[in-house]
Amino acid sequence: MNFKALGSNLGLEEDEFMELVELFIKTADDDIQKIKTAWAHGNAEKVAEAAHSLKGSSGNLGFLNISEVARDAEKRGKENDINNLDRLTDSLEQMLSEIKECACP
Amino acid sequence: MEMNQQFSILAVDDNPLNLRLLETTLTKEGYRVLSSKEGSLAREIAVKERPDLILLDIKMPGEDGFEVIKNLKNNPVTAAIPVIFLTGVSEINAKLFGFELGAVDYITKPFHPREVVARVRLHLKLSIATNSLISSQAEKLKQISEAQTSMLTTPESHPEARFGVYFVSLQEAGGDFYEVLSISKDIFGFFVADFSGHDIKTGYLTSSVKALLKQNSTPIYQPSESIKMINDVLVEILPEDKYLTACYARLNRRAKQMVIISAGHPPAVYVPHNGEARLIEMDGDILGIFKDVYFGRQTIDVTPGDRFYLYSDGLVESSQERTVWSKDATALLSACHRSGDLPIKAAPENIVRLLLNDDGKAEDDIVVLGIEV
Repeated sequence: MNFKALGSNLGLEEDEFMELVELFIKTADDDIQKIKTAWAHGNAEKVAEAAHSLKGSSGNLGFLNISEVARDAEKRGKENDINNLDRLTDSLEQMLSEIKECACP
Repeated sequence: MEMNQQFSILAVDDNPLNLRLLETTLTKEGYRVLSSKEGSLAREIAVKERPDLILLDIKMPGEDGFEVIKNLKNNPVTAAIPVIFLTGVSEINAKLFGFELGAVDYITKPFHPREVVARVRLHLKLSIATNSLISSQAEKLKQISEAQTSMLTTPESHPEARFGVYFVSLQEAGGDFYEVLSISKDIFGFFVADFSGHDIKTGYLTSSVKALLKQNSTPIYQPSESIKMINDVLVEILPEDKYLTACYARLNRRAKQMVIISAGHPPAVYVPHNGEARLIEMDGDILGIFKDVYFGRQTIDVTPGDRFYLYSDGLVESSQERTVWSKDATALLSACHRSGDLPIKAAPENIVRLLLNDDGKAEDDIVVLGIEV
C-alpha cells in the first residue's frame, strides 16, 4: 500500500497522512465494532449509522475498497436487510488489517 | 515581524477523521482552524470567535447542520459569516434546502482537501470583495449630489411597475420617502422608509439611500442581502442617533412571488385578490445603527390581482389623538379592502382619505404605496 501516493493525492506529506491513517485505524475499528454489535442486536438503523461514518472517513482518505463495502452495509442497514451482514464485516476487518500491517509493520 | 491578518475557519463534523483532515489541510494553508464535533458547541464557538467562514456537516447526531445554520442566520452576530455545507453526493434536496437557509456553497462528500481549500479561498475572496464594496460605496456616496436622486419615481414614469402612491412631505426635507426599482422585466423592488427625527436635514440621506438601492437591488442579490448591504453602508455614513425604518418588497411577476423584508417598519398589508386583507407582521432591526442585524423576511406566493400596501407610520399613528394600534390595524385593513375596486393608481389616496376622516389635513409625513401583482 503506497501511503505516500495516497497522501500526495490529498495534497499531504507522508507524515501528515500517516497521522490521519492512525486516527482512521482507530475510528474504523470503532465503527466496525459498532456495526457488529448493532447487527448482533438486530438494530439495522445503528448498522447504517456506523457504516455511514466508516464510508465517509475511508472515502476521504482514499481507501475506496473499504468505502464501497461500507456503502453496501449502510444501504443494507437502511433497507433493514441485515442477514449475513457478517460477510461484509469480515471483509471490512480483513481490509483494515491490511492497512494496519502496512502502517505499523 | 507582524503577521498579516490570519483568517479563521470553523470546521464542524461529527466524524473525527474528517474533522482532522480538514484541520490538517486548512492549517497547512495558513488558516487558523477552530473545530467542533457537534452543532451546539459549533454555534457557541461561532459567537465567541466569529470565524471568517464555516464548514458545516449536515448529517450530525443531535443538532444537525440545518438546525445549526438556521440558528447562525438568526443571530445578528453570526448571520453574515459565510457557511459551506458538507453533504452526500446524491442529496439534491439537502443541497437546495441548505441554500435556502443561507449557505453560500456546498462540498460533496467524500470531499477532496484541495477542493475544500479552493472553495474556502473563493468564498473568503467574495466575502472580502463584498466588504470592500461596502466601504467603496460609502466613499462614493459622499460625492452624490441631492439633485441627482431627488427626482420622484412616479407611476407615470414606471407604468410597467403597476403601482400607485400617495406622498405628502410636510417638512422641507421630509423623513419619509419611497422608491420603485426596475430590477428586470418581471422583477420590481418597492421601498418605503422613514428617517427617525426631523431635526437634521435628511435630504442628502434620502438621496444616499436611493442611490444605494439602485446599486444593490440587482438580480444577483437576495432582497435581504440588498438591505443588509444598505445597512452596512448606512452604519458608516449616518450621523449618530439617526436611523431608518424600512419595508422592502420585491415582486417577481414571472415567478409569482413576493418577498417582503421588514427593518423595524410598520407591517405591510396584503390583500389577496379573493380574500381577506391581512397584515404581514414580523420583527426586524432598524437600519443604520448596528453592524450585526437581523431582518424579518416573508415569501408569499401571489396571483395576479393581489395587492400589497406599504406605508409610513404617519398613516396610522396620530400624534394628536393617540389611538391604539389594534384599532388602527382594523381601520387600516378595512380601508385597504374598501379600496379594492379602485384602480391601483387611485387606491393609496383613497386609503388615506378613509383613514384621516376626510379633512385632508395630515399631521405628519405620509407615504402609502400600493402594488398590484
